[in-house]
Amino acid sequence: MKTAILALRALVFAMALAVIGHTAPVFAQQAPNPTAQSVNEQQLLDALRVGGVLDGRITIPNETAKVLIQPRGKDWRDFHQTTLWTIGGVSILGMLGLLVVFFLVRGKIRIESGFSGRTVTRFGGVERFVHWLTAGCFIILALSGLNLTFGKAFVAPVLGESAFALLAGWGKFAHNYLSFPFMFGLVMMFVIWVKDNIPGKLDLEWLKAGGGILKKGQHPPAPRFNAGQKGIFWIVILGGAAMSVSGWHLLFPFGAGSTVSDQQFWANVHAVVAMVFIAVMLAHAYIGSVGMEGAYDAMGSGEVDENWAREHHSLWLAQEEKRAAMAPPLSVPAE
Amino acid sequence: MLIKRREAAARNNLAHSPRLQAVAAGLASGALDRRTFLKRSGLAAGGVVALGASLGSVRKAEALGVLDHSKPVVAKKNMCTHCSVGCSIIGEIQNGVWVGQEPAWDSPINRGTHCAKGAASRELVFGDRRLKYPLKLVNGQWQRISWDQAINEVGDKMTEIRAKSGADSVYLLGSAKFTNEGAYLFRKFAAFWGTNSVDHQARICHSTTVAGVANTWGYGAQTNSYNDIRNSKTVIFMGSNAAEAHPVSLQHILVGKETQRANVIVFDPRFTRTAAHATEYVRFRGGTDIAVIWGLMHHIFANGWEDKEFIRQRVDGMEQIRAEVAKWTPEEVERVTGIPGEQMKKVAETFAKQRPSTFIWCMGGTQHTVGTANVRAYCNLLLATGNVGSNGSGANIFRGHTNVQGATDLGLDIGTLPLYYGLVEGAWRHWSRVWGVPYDYLQTRFDEVPAKAGRPARTRKQNMETPGIPSTRWFDAVLQKPDEVDQMDNIKAMVVFGHGGNTIPRMPDAQKGIEALDLLVVADPHPTTFAALSNRKNGTYLLPICTNFETEGSRTASNRSLQWGEKFVEPIFESKDDYEAIYLLSKKLGFADEMFKNYKLANNRPDPEDILREINRGGFSTGYSGQSPERLKAHMANQGKFDIVTLRSPTDGSDTSGDFYGLPWPCWGKPEIKHPGTHILYNTNLHVKEGGGTFRARFGVVREQKNADGTATQISMLSDGSYSLGSELTDGYPEFTLGVLKKLGWDKDLTPTELEQINAIGGNNADGVGWAVDLSGGIIRVALDHGCIPFGNGKARAVAYNLPDPVPVHREPIYTPRTDLVAQYPTRPDGRQFRMANIGETYQKKALEAGVAKQFPIILTSGRLVEYEGGGEETRSNKWLAELQQDMFVEINPADASERGIKEGQFVWVSGPEANSRARVKALVTERVGKGVAFMPFHFAGWFQGVDQRGNYPKGADPIVLGESVNTVTTYGYDPVTGMHEGKVTLCQIRAA
Amino acid sequence: MARMKFLCDADRCIECNACVTACKNEHDVPWGINRRRVVTINDGKPGERSVSMACMHCTDAPCAAVCPVNCFYTTADAVVLHSKDLCIGCGYCFYACPFGAPQYPRVGNFGSRGKMDKCTYCAGGPDADLTMAEYTKYGSNRLAEGKLPLCAEMCSTKALLAGDGAIIAEIYKERVTRRGYGSGAWGWKTAYQETIAL
Repeated sequence: MKTAILALRALVFAMALAVIGHTAPVFAQQAPNPTAQSVNEQQLLDALRVGGVLDGRITIPNETAKVLIQPRGKDWRDFHQTTLWTIGGVSILGMLGLLVVFFLVRGKIRIESGFSGRTVTRFGGVERFVHWLTAGCFIILALSGLNLTFGKAFVAPVLGESAFALLAGWGKFAHNYLSFPFMFGLVMMFVIWVKDNIPGKLDLEWLKAGGGILKKGQHPPAPRFNAGQKGIFWIVILGGAAMSVSGWHLLFPFGAGSTVSDQQFWANVHAVVAMVFIAVMLAHAYIGSVGMEGAYDAMGSGEVDENWAREHHSLWLAQEEKRAAMAPPLSVPAE
Repeated sequence: MLIKRREAAARNNLAHSPRLQAVAAGLASGALDRRTFLKRSGLAAGGVVALGASLGSVRKAEALGVLDHSKPVVAKKNMCTHCSVGCSIIGEIQNGVWVGQEPAWDSPINRGTHCAKGAASRELVFGDRRLKYPLKLVNGQWQRISWDQAINEVGDKMTEIRAKSGADSVYLLGSAKFTNEGAYLFRKFAAFWGTNSVDHQARICHSTTVAGVANTWGYGAQTNSYNDIRNSKTVIFMGSNAAEAHPVSLQHILVGKETQRANVIVFDPRFTRTAAHATEYVRFRGGTDIAVIWGLMHHIFANGWEDKEFIRQRVDGMEQIRAEVAKWTPEEVERVTGIPGEQMKKVAETFAKQRPSTFIWCMGGTQHTVGTANVRAYCNLLLATGNVGSNGSGANIFRGHTNVQGATDLGLDIGTLPLYYGLVEGAWRHWSRVWGVPYDYLQTRFDEVPAKAGRPARTRKQNMETPGIPSTRWFDAVLQKPDEVDQMDNIKAMVVFGHGGNTIPRMPDAQKGIEALDLLVVADPHPTTFAALSNRKNGTYLLPICTNFETEGSRTASNRSLQWGEKFVEPIFESKDDYEAIYLLSKKLGFADEMFKNYKLANNRPDPEDILREINRGGFSTGYSGQSPERLKAHMANQGKFDIVTLRSPTDGSDTSGDFYGLPWPCWGKPEIKHPGTHILYNTNLHVKEGGGTFRARFGVVREQKNADGTATQISMLSDGSYSLGSELTDGYPEFTLGVLKKLGWDKDLTPTELEQINAIGGNNADGVGWAVDLSGGIIRVALDHGCIPFGNGKARAVAYNLPDPVPVHREPIYTPRTDLVAQYPTRPDGRQFRMANIGETYQKKALEAGVAKQFPIILTSGRLVEYEGGGEETRSNKWLAELQQDMFVEINPADASERGIKEGQFVWVSGPEANSRARVKALVTERVGKGVAFMPFHFAGWFQGVDQRGNYPKGADPIVLGESVNTVTTYGYDPVTGMHEGKVTLCQIRAA
Repeated sequence: MARMKFLCDADRCIECNACVTACKNEHDVPWGINRRRVVTINDGKPGERSVSMACMHCTDAPCAAVCPVNCFYTTADAVVLHSKDLCIGCGYCFYACPFGAPQYPRVGNFGSRGKMDKCTYCAGGPDADLTMAEYTKYGSNRLAEGKLPLCAEMCSTKALLAGDGAIIAEIYKERVTRRGYGSGAWGWKTAYQETIAL
């Protein structure tokens, strides 16, 4: 693609030369008159491609300083003040709305066969630690992030400017620091859970059945993680990666070759992914708590009720039971 | 490559670890917030206080204070210490600290404005990368010593060297940074020490201008002024990048360009920032200036565009020029210079017809083996078109440093005593009278020189009248065999006051030279390259000298205006001013009582006003006689009264009534006769008492011209029917002596006291006493009263009969890419000048035989950056400036770069054809330079052939930015008239590093 | 009240950087912070022009619009200033600014952005005029002393003009009429949504 463009450019240039060569040979030989030939701002702006900048040479070693005028700053402003509000509003409020509607229609998803009283370990200590580490960071990152976009409109009038700036300042501080444990959590989650999140044939069936949550009594078979959970996993991993990479660029903006265009791009990626990410996490949080009876225990105590497991993760439960049976009895008591 | 304050401590530990240094350099482009910054600066200064409990250090700590609006502030006026434009600077002083800088709106020169350097001046006194106390190199380590110890040890060593090798073996390198008084004192010091090897930066900037121009029409200085260019209709810049070298001058030039719709034509091998504002840009091959000028004149003569009446009345020898010019047909000019004939014709017509036209040149013209010939060619273009001696015309020679004009005038020159009296007996007698010492005493100070290698011996008197060694070749005089150097012994000691070591070509040789010295003394606010370049272990002394903001005195701007600068603050740290340092050294050497007898002394410091008064008493030749301290101070106090274009104060009966700003020399006679100074030299449209004049009758009354038939014709050298307004003599006349006055019957106008003084000077030849040596000023006064100029009314010389190539001829640079032209236009034959051999021809032949042009196919030229100046130690130590140019670079054309796989910003090796020299610099790929041409700025030092020498600097006095010097790769080549180096054309090769 | 503006006459600007160091000198701006800079367009080619650029003190300033903490305010002279007490160093103003004016010391966490610094039109900040607190945060306040920005006052060729927009526009117009050329009032359209009709 790039070579094609270059070739095209060369062709146009050659044609331009040819035109000059044929029609105005005298002009081509004319001595340079730098004053008469000087660049003109209006012409340069008119010639600018969408997203282009007026730039030149500067002696200080600073890539961003080379840019004289970047009209796309206005685009960024429009994006940040309008588009982002729409995206954020639609995705977050939309999701909240959906969840309310869902709750009203479906209500809390109960364990149909009731609590068995027997539990099976679903998540070990490390897994739960990693989950809550990431989730805790996420909540603060999300709140402090949302505050930067919406706080000015909703929080500042309540707190007053100084207190709000203080809050936002601490928010930025927290955002910067918590990004590291968040990224650590992401990596850990990936390592721990990726093997259980490889999409398979069963997922299609599960999806066909709508996960069984739409209709009572329907429980498509699922392994350790059903398709919905796998979806969340990959959204978290990929979305988290996008947040991390873009966030890294925003946290360290002074890297060699980092231009204002790059920074605008990463800021936009960060903001848009964040809005969608937050919306999805709202759904995740809903189903993991008030939305489904017995689900919270998985990440709470780590021990889920057998019946819950049978209804939602029948294959996994079967597997766990088999493993327990095959395990050699402890010849020596633990103590 | 660069460091900044907070890394200072870390750096010193890391100096020898390139890897860690790279890490430090990586960190260095970060920034601190203001509060941290101020606080950390405070800590740094605290460290200084801990080191030395001297008052200077304490003051320095206070200097971190900023302007406190609740307390009174004093505004003081001085001048920018960088280039020669002479911008006034107003410093706001509070509690003895320079806390702020305000625009000097009243100055007719800069009207409040500055360039990057001027606007950053406060850092020179505010920053702390200065020499703080005297240092001595002991076994490779810098050791702090007291001033007493330093002066004692330096003095003893000098005396020892003198006893063994003679006075001439101590080289005295002065500075264009001196005030006039400092420069004069240093020249006087050399006279009392007994050597003519006393030089300064003018050698390497405009020595060829001074020689060439003075030999054309009298004085070797800018004929008009920056301001006067506002009147020009056509302006040619040739080898001048004023936008970067003299930025404030562009204010006048661009206003002129706009209001007059003037043509601004730039001749330069490089598309400079000046060229960007031209109405015509002419690219030519460097080193072909004479061919270019003759090419222009070819069109002028061919079309009859010359000013025939001007030539008839005021120019001698133009027909000989015409004969040479005839050879330079448009075809030949294009072949040699690369400029198309049509463009030459257009420029020639514009210059000749759209008058007044002025010609501006700088080091692009002067720094050549043919430098003197180049400037004479320029003068010829002006003479042929009648563009000298009127508003808007003239040779506007932009000098380089702040006081390079003054330091040149005051004789920091190997060939003359102060004010161009030369070295002849009469000159020595004149100055011994002014100084109040016996002529014979001065003679005893000089060496007797033995006969060497078949060359005759010199008596003390002969040696006293023999020019010294130029600053461009001091290291040759250290390193060559004793037989090769025409003085008692080689140079054994360098005493360097305010001169960088990296501004002269052949740095590998300079490095060897420094190492071979018995004694090296650097007296400067900064250590300079002299202190850091070599691997000396002992025998180097660094004396901290303050800047001109920490002392007072006058300085002469390029337009010959003198300005008096006030002391802003006391010298910081333990630094002293030049006056005190020179006094202390003289006292140690035992001639202070004689040398300083005419000055008030306070705490070992001679009064600069007294020094200026002595200059006034003896400075008749150049009209440095009327600028008394009182008059100069009145000008500074009333700057606002002077007109921006005419530079003249209204005639209102005040102290400055009718004066030109700064009393531009010649300001004739004694201060009491209130000559207004001379804004425009040789201007016949004004009365001499109003600053008018004629060409100087400097070259005799007649010359003899040999005819073809063997007979000789006497040709008058006096002007023909041209004279200055109101002159009683309406034709040419010779320079005035008592005898001439008598012939005219004007001797009766002399007062008895004046006559008595003249008779005392002349003894039994009183009639021979000329205007320049008449200490009574009577002859000058009487001549002026009759409307005549004291130096006579002569013709300008198109041909300088006393110089090599009387008619300038094109000669290829020693290292030329056009080997095909060498046979036709060879460099000058080998010869001996200034006590040494100058063997350019041998070098050219050698280069030709070795095929240098093939191995080194790129022309290397050099020049200035706006942020730095000269050797750059001072400006590279200024954090506000250093930030703007953090790396040494080479400009290379995109075509040359892509051939070599070189990318913008990467390191490259630039190698030179001599001494396997090479420099590691960053590539700046740009169309500023044409294909086959590379450009490097000359302000960098501190890296040498890839080695970072930061560790060689004393702690805390290393410049922020270091880099390779262009002169590491520049080469041999010297102008035969002045010893000017070839700084603008050599060959190089560039490879990715 | 005057409507303060900057105007760089590129046909006069010679990239001497006086504006840059004058600013550094006046406010003791640390290394790495460039409140003003000079960019050369078409470097080395006929047509080359240099333009000195800093905060243009825009009408309807984008920085103020995107600032999450409302730290910007516009003075009666139409100078756009900001409060470093409020600023959190998020970088948004830099993304939105068409002129690259906002600068950040690397003193934030892990060397990230600290509180933003930019050209104040030599008008200080929200602290009391001409106090040490104001100087330490924003540099000196020349407007309060009845002076104009030092960069423009010290401009070597009087290319950089500062002052009431109407007046400097008039000066520029006169220049262009007199000399017959002008490369435009750089940044005016972007900053003030107007150009100087010639």
